[in-house]
Amino acid sequence: MHFAVSLNIAATGQDVLDFGQISAFVRQAEAAGVDMVIISDVAEGPSTSPFEATTLLAALATVTYRIGLVASASTLAHQPYNLARRFASLDIISHGRVGWNATLRQNPREAANFSRPEGFSDGDFRRRAEEYIGIVQGLWRSWDGDALLFDKAGGRFHDPDRMHMLDHKGEFFAVRGPLNVARSPQDTPVLVMSGLNETDRDFASRGADVILIAEQSADAANAATADLRRRALAAGRKPEGVMVLLTVAIESEPPIDGLRSLLGSSGCDGFNLVLPADVPALQNFTDRALPELRRDGLAGRGQQGATLRARLGLGTGGAK
Amino acid sequence: MTARRMKLGLFLWATGHHIAAWRHPDAHVTAGIDIEHYIQLARTAEAAKFDMVFCEDAAGLREANVNIASQTSRSIGFEPISLLSALAVQTERIGLVSTASTSYNEPYGLARTFASLDNLSGGRAGWNLVTSASPIEAANFGATGLRPHADRYARACEFATVITGLWHRKPAGHDGESFSVRDPLDVPPSPQGAPVMVQAGASDDGKDLAARTADVVFSAAQTFEEARAFYDDLKGRLAAYGRQPDDVKIMPGVAPIVAATKAEAQAKYDALQELIPDDVGVALLSSYLSISDLGRYPIDGPLPELPESEGMKSRQALVIEQARRDGLSIRELARYFAGARGHWRIVGTAEEIADELQERFEGGAADGFNVMPSWFPGELDAFATLVVPELQRRGLFRRDYEGRTLRDHLGLKRPI
Ligand SMILES: Cc1cc2nc3c(=O)[nH]c(=O)nc-3n(C[C@H](O)[C@H](O)[C@H](O)COP(=O)(O)O)c2cc1C
Repeated sequence: MHFAVSLNIAATGQDVLDFGQISAFVRQAEAAGVDMVIISDVAEGPSTSPFEATTLLAALATVTYRIGLVASASTLAHQPYNLARRFASLDIISHGRVGWNATLRQNPREAANFSRPEGFSDGDFRRRAEEYIGIVQGLWRSWDGDALLFDKAGGRFHDPDRMHMLDHKGEFFAVRGPLNVARSPQDTPVLVMSGLNETDRDFASRGADVILIAEQSADAANAATADLRRRALAAGRKPEGVMVLLTVAIESEPPIDGLRSLLGSSGCDGFNLVLPADVPALQNFTDRALPELRRDGLAGRGQQGATLRARLGLGTGGAK
Repeated sequence: MTARRMKLGLFLWATGHHIAAWRHPDAHVTAGIDIEHYIQLARTAEAAKFDMVFCEDAAGLREANVNIASQTSRSIGFEPISLLSALAVQTERIGLVSTASTSYNEPYGLARTFASLDNLSGGRAGWNLVTSASPIEAANFGATGLRPHADRYARACEFATVITGLWHRKPAGHDGESFSVRDPLDVPPSPQGAPVMVQAGASDDGKDLAARTADVVFSAAQTFEEARAFYDDLKGRLAAYGRQPDDVKIMPGVAPIVAATKAEAQAKYDALQELIPDDVGVALLSSYLSISDLGRYPIDGPLPELPESEGMKSRQALVIEQARRDGLSIRELARYFAGARGHWRIVGTAEEIADELQERFEGGAADGFNVMPSWFPGELDAFATLVVPELQRRGLFRRDYEGRTLRDHLGLKRPI
């Protein structure tokens, strides 16, 4: 049973949170045993948040110790090499607690601000996103875990045979590699995928560590989960190597009983609760809802372990 | 009217600036994967009242030859914006400046990222604009190779216009040669209004862009005369953009090695020099000269004639000038270069180092310095405990921060 909390810091019409407020919230969630917090910062309209998700995550990494930290970052806003570097670096800063939430939905606002006024067609966007994610994962494996030798006397900092080029040449990108950031402490940062539609399912079940689904009913969630697991198996993965979390948006109080029965019938591995990022909502969640969720064993049952992968019970390495 | 005071930046570089720093017995060899190391360095610099820490960056390896690369510590490290974001909440006063490339980013994204760093730090962020001269980086962003110098600068100019427009809340909408941006920036301004703009390109294009946009300029110079000429040149370009000489702080790099006696300092330097493998030194020199095969020339012979680079024009010129001036062989030049990549090196006591810095500061060759410790943490500690107090005694450097933001430290106006 896994538990994630999503904050869309950029959504309009909510409080502007400062770093102290956000970090206090995340630390309380950590104390309550929440597995991970997912920071998303893409808004349909203008955002009022002072922060961008990956920079905020770096700062949060230095004031938390166990909770997983996931940031959304779009495939339009960064070049894959730069994004791979950012997350690899975040993973080292957090001692292995970081994930990237790659959303497979195109945000037209982003296209308009990133020199793509017309955006991409759906098909192009999807093929581009798949290529992009593959590059990022490939770059994360540039260095073997034992590549760094630190041999001062012998004069070898790293083993040249344990550093790998990527040499990717695809439809949208050409990336030589290797990454100039060391191997992630959890092997590779956790890859979270969200915003999937039907056609993305194969890709997601092949590549993702965590999949966020947002089905409207327990039945639909059950069907989607079973489908994803089946596809993961077909792709040669252990079905339980993919965590499926049901995303639930809540206005104020999470309906504990409802969640409990929903979880039982959805076949999911846990929940991702989307909270409005304003102070009263966060306070209500940490002061009232979290203790109750915890008492009922909904939060705080994550496996123990230093990294986010270990916490989620995911094997090292993710999908290949 | 307070006396004019020196600005000091700490140029961070994992294990240190000397190419063999990582092999020093006390160097923190795991620096590139140890955030605590950087937090410690930033706090040391903050306790010494440095204006800022500065992170260089390249979106790729530094060295093409894997065998050479593996004999240096330069192939892995932190991505600097995430590093500085972590430092932002682990420090209180010191400025946080990161390099980011105009060639491999988009202005809207970078504007948001730096605005976020600026907000996280309470107004202490700065951006070092670079055009990225390395073909190794270029290969990570497409198959077409390094674009010509002039094209990179044209893109950089447009980038700077767009990003400052976004930071300064200019009306939205840009549709230009390289970029189109529809919306205004959606991150509220920080206490310093906008991140500080830094530039370090020293070609003609680079200096013009700096004169137009930069608050701080980094440079590399060996002699007083070179430093002075650069200073005059750059400050002289400001008027054309309606700016005053004091609007831009020029901070050349300096790599000091300090000890209680000159002999002791020299011995520290010599010990580091002993740790440089010849092929590593020559490869480093080659990369800054933008020549791939310097190794095929006799190592004890002179530097060959070189075609003008499409990479780092200014550094190439500086090195060639030094080789000719001092009549250095490739080996000698490479060994010297390995110490601080062409930046000014001073080996001596705190008084001697303070004398030299004072001379350039008061002689119109610098507004401050970008300090490049040979290895970390030892040479930073030595500079902070020996040289900084000497500069303070002479009234050349602050004893405490006067304000909160990086603009405050540098005496820069808040942008409107
Ligand atoms: C102190 C200093 C720091 C620099 N840091 C970087 C850096 O981090 N990344 C980079 O690509 N170039 C860096 N440069 C290089 C310049 O910014 C510039 O790209 C280079 O000099 C080529 O431009 P030019 O041909 O106009 O001189 C640095 C230069 C100096 C003097």
